[in-house]
Amino acid sequence: ARCSTSAESLVPSSTIFALSSGQGRCAIAVIRTSGPASGLALRSLTALQEPPPARRACLRLLRHPCSGEPLDRSLVLWFPGPQSFTGEDCVEFHVHGGPAVVSGVLQALGSVPGLRPAEAGEFTRRAFAHGKLSLTEVEGLADLIRAETEAQRRQALRQLDGELSQLCQGWAKTLTKALAYVEAYIDFGEDDNLEEGVLEQADREVRALEVALGSHLRDARRGQRLLSGANVVVTGPPNAGKSSLVNLLSQKPVSIVSPEPGTTRDVLETPVDLAGFPVLLSDTAGLREGVGAVEQEGVRRARHRLEQADIILGVLDASDLASSSSCSFLDTVVTPLLAQSQDSGGQRLLLLLNKSDLLSANAPACDIALPPHLLLSCHTGAGMDSLLQALKTELAAVCGDPSTGPPLLTRVRHQYHLQGCLDALGHYQLATDLALAAEALRQARRQLNHLTGGGGTEEILDLIFQDFCVGK
Amino acid sequence: SDSAAPCTPHFDVVVIGGGHAGTEAAAAAARCGSRTLLLTHRVDTIGQMSCNPSFGGIGKGHLMREVDALDGLCSRICDQSGIHYKVLNRRKGPAVWGLRAQIDRKLYKQNMQKEILSTPLLTVQKGAVEDLVLAEPEPGYPGKSRVRGVVLADGSTIYAESVILTTGTFLRGMIIIGLEMHPAGRLGDQPSIGLAQTLEKLGFMVGRLKTGTPPRLGKESINFSILNKHTPDDPSIPFSFLSDSVWIKPEDQLPCYLTHTNPRVDAIVLENLHLNSHVQETTKGPRYCPSIESKVLRFPNRLHQVWLEPEGMDSDLIYPQGLSVTLPAELQEKMITCIRGLEKAKMVHPGYGVQYDYLDPRQISPSLETHLVQRLFFAGQINGTTGYEEAAAQGVIAGINASLRVSRKPPFVVSRTEGYIGVLIDDLTTLGTSEPYRMFTSRVEFRLSLRPDNADTRLTFRAHKEAGCVSSQRFERALWMKSSLEEGISVLKSIKFSSSKWKKLIPQIPISINRSLPVSALDVLKYEEVDMESLVGVLPEPLEKYTACRELARRLKIEASYESVLSYQLQEIKEVQQDEALQLPHELDYLTIRDVSLSQEVREKLHLSRPQTIGAASRIPGVTPAAIINLLRFVRSTRQSRQQ
Repeated sequence: ARCSTSAESLVPSSTIFALSSGQGRCAIAVIRTSGPASGLALRSLTALQEPPPARRACLRLLRHPCSGEPLDRSLVLWFPGPQSFTGEDCVEFHVHGGPAVVSGVLQALGSVPGLRPAEAGEFTRRAFAHGKLSLTEVEGLADLIRAETEAQRRQALRQLDGELSQLCQGWAKTLTKALAYVEAYIDFGEDDNLEEGVLEQADREVRALEVALGSHLRDARRGQRLLSGANVVVTGPPNAGKSSLVNLLSQKPVSIVSPEPGTTRDVLETPVDLAGFPVLLSDTAGLREGVGAVEQEGVRRARHRLEQADIILGVLDASDLASSSSCSFLDTVVTPLLAQSQDSGGQRLLLLLNKSDLLSANAPACDIALPPHLLLSCHTGAGMDSLLQALKTELAAVCGDPSTGPPLLTRVRHQYHLQGCLDALGHYQLATDLALAAEALRQARRQLNHLTGGGGTEEILDLIFQDFCVGK
Repeated sequence: SDSAAPCTPHFDVVVIGGGHAGTEAAAAAARCGSRTLLLTHRVDTIGQMSCNPSFGGIGKGHLMREVDALDGLCSRICDQSGIHYKVLNRRKGPAVWGLRAQIDRKLYKQNMQKEILSTPLLTVQKGAVEDLVLAEPEPGYPGKSRVRGVVLADGSTIYAESVILTTGTFLRGMIIIGLEMHPAGRLGDQPSIGLAQTLEKLGFMVGRLKTGTPPRLGKESINFSILNKHTPDDPSIPFSFLSDSVWIKPEDQLPCYLTHTNPRVDAIVLENLHLNSHVQETTKGPRYCPSIESKVLRFPNRLHQVWLEPEGMDSDLIYPQGLSVTLPAELQEKMITCIRGLEKAKMVHPGYGVQYDYLDPRQISPSLETHLVQRLFFAGQINGTTGYEEAAAQGVIAGINASLRVSRKPPFVVSRTEGYIGVLIDDLTTLGTSEPYRMFTSRVEFRLSLRPDNADTRLTFRAHKEAGCVSSQRFERALWMKSSLEEGISVLKSIKFSSSKWKKLIPQIPISINRSLPVSALDVLKYEEVDMESLVGVLPEPLEKYTACRELARRLKIEASYESVLSYQLQEIKEVQQDEALQLPHELDYLTIRDVSLSQEVREKLHLSRPQTIGAASRIPGVTPAAIINLLRFVRSTRQSRQQ
């Protein structure tokens, strides 16, 4: 029984878009929109005056609505609501799967008025709100949302690593402060005594922010730094053979290999093609405590990189499983990961016992209980085929999951929200009514919060009460 | 349980407390048609303003307009009792204007008592409530028991269908001056101890808060001539939608004066912290600075404002706002005389601190009924708020809902998207509070839509239809205003000229004459330089009729200024309302339900605040998006099985 009580009144009025097919080396990528502006999106990209016949594929040249630049020759499908997946007007663009095309179409959609990138699980949630999903179909929805949220979080973490992350956090901080000052001026400016020049200070901060965001958005090179492909991170205690494995998988000498523990100190990354999937392979420092400052920094970076991994290759020395470094790795890294990956959306782990050639043929490898693992010898190449087979399964799961599509979508999202923030700051400067000016700053902050998280009212109030002596 | 003797009094709604929450609650219940009893320690303190001699302000003025839109009392009483009317934030946009007035304490009390004592269906009785009469819970509603009445200190019982507690700071109230402490609800009044114990025994979570009040000064002893004088607005803007003007002319109103603290005040505070137990106590004070001690401690070496406010037309007292203090009385006197203009000031009463019990407001639902005891409602400071306006707002809502509950009608809940009252109650019931909660406009997401000017169109019609608590005079007026606004806006939209024609008509507008599309009169009205009067000046036909009512003309201008942003905000409001429309079943036991996958942490959070809707649940910190989806699914499936 499908239930539609009250669903009709719950029509969301914004229009969302997302890449909804798998990543990896697919020939075709499917990009979907849902919401009342879907028809407009269709017309803007295809130059069609009228929507094509419902639910029938037609071939159109897609162009960027602003620049007119051709993007791709694509199959276009029009699903007017309520007979669509979400119950709203929907459009599907089946485009050629290359990253450049996909990101071009996503950016083009982001420039259509009324369209915004979908939040995690939003398509499914809309379908649910319109009674388009039966209860059994919804069973997995929470898991899906958890997975998408988790994948996006990891994606954001990866993308916002380093410089870009600091930039975003810095902008968010500046903006929050400017907003707090304007809010303080509204709520306390008149019967409490704020210091002179509170508004002027907010204005200065906003102007500086506008300049910074504008130059960031114009600098196209920054976009290129964003990584695409699944993130595979090799980790383990020192001297387990991690660098040998990386060199073997990438078929080139990425890392220096030596018998000395702690040879790899920085994160070394190399893009490789594994079983047909684009992968960013990272070699990291062996995890151990109590060593020199440089190596400690290497360990810190290794742990940081581990948090961003989609797939973790945990490498142990099969001939040295009882050592304290092996045990500590099992306890502090492997066990928590195994507990976590029961949740869908958690990171995937392959546990590898390297140096199988050092084990004597008849002696048992070890008397401690181990989670499922693969035996491998980087020295002889034994076990490599099973490893590649296992990796292929994992990569297919990671890359075939639409939620991991985001490298491209995240880049679009990033630009979309930064541009939205910049536009709102422009409105702030123009507004003569202070309530309208504050609204523009709130809007700008909401846009940035999509990238950095946070952003409640309490944060503003905390700042106000911290910086100003107000109240009676 | 129905063994009440024939002569035992029986009311639909009993309200305990005659402060700002209590008076509004009692009057609202009576307006809804309930036979209502207001019980108070002292009839002569009904309507007492126990702290500042003013009403309104930024955010608070918004609350008053909403209380008025629900036909509450305080705005109308203030229009009859003010002695200095001034709108704050005049230059910051009408969405954040703060209606405010200095109020004559005596007049306010008189007018409020007159109103309360003449309200049909409302009885007032003196009496201290010591206990509640409880009975088995009514099936089909949450709660462990049901309130049936109250027991007074003299042992007598009064039966009631609903009971509203508005005891303010009286629950185990304690007054503190210097190192001295004594039990009192307010200076000169006994605290409620029995009632506090009853509530604790019932299982309510009780917390403690503190507040304070400044000393009062003799008017004649202040040297006003050397201070900054502040005059009221001319004309005065009334609080109530029903008032065309206030009772007093601007020239007859009293001025306020401004002075400042100085380093000598700081020194006295800092040298005597050991004599100041209120400041040393660990009881949670607010993050903002209500007392001079907290100002000096947190923001040293600054001059702090002290407003000298009149307490009444013929009062000899001056209220030094900003000087709330709990030092021993002789040190307060010493501190006061350090301040410019107060060198010879006479302290008539010392300032003092109050500590009191409050009940964690996550234990009440948005109708203000408690989760634990059916038909028991809490309103005002008992819920952890501060301020007359916050109390009055809760009072009206509690009064309406106590009455609706008696007739088994659905509760009247104001959403965050509909009013400041909604934000206030949603914040309290979903997040709780650990400091006295005060309304700020920055708490309100949809600030541009929830303005003081349009509270009637937001609330009056709903209140009329769902609660029946609105007089027909108010209803008619709101209806006329709404249709006139709609008509006016559509006429303004329909008038379209080229930008160059507009420039010729109204040369002062900074419009670009290169705009290719015709510009509507509504778009022109957006400019700061234009108002309805200047439009009528050039287009008397058909606009003249919209300036006959000044309020209408003013509201059309405001609607025009915010029009473009409002259509965008409407979309966001709609998205929030979708989640608000998804009701969670009230009988849900979050700790034990099996068919929904929730972590223990989330279960406990939901159990504590019992959100009524998916929207409220999603605002509880720690309730994850995945938990929300699981709840959604659960709601949908229970609704389906109920329909089958």
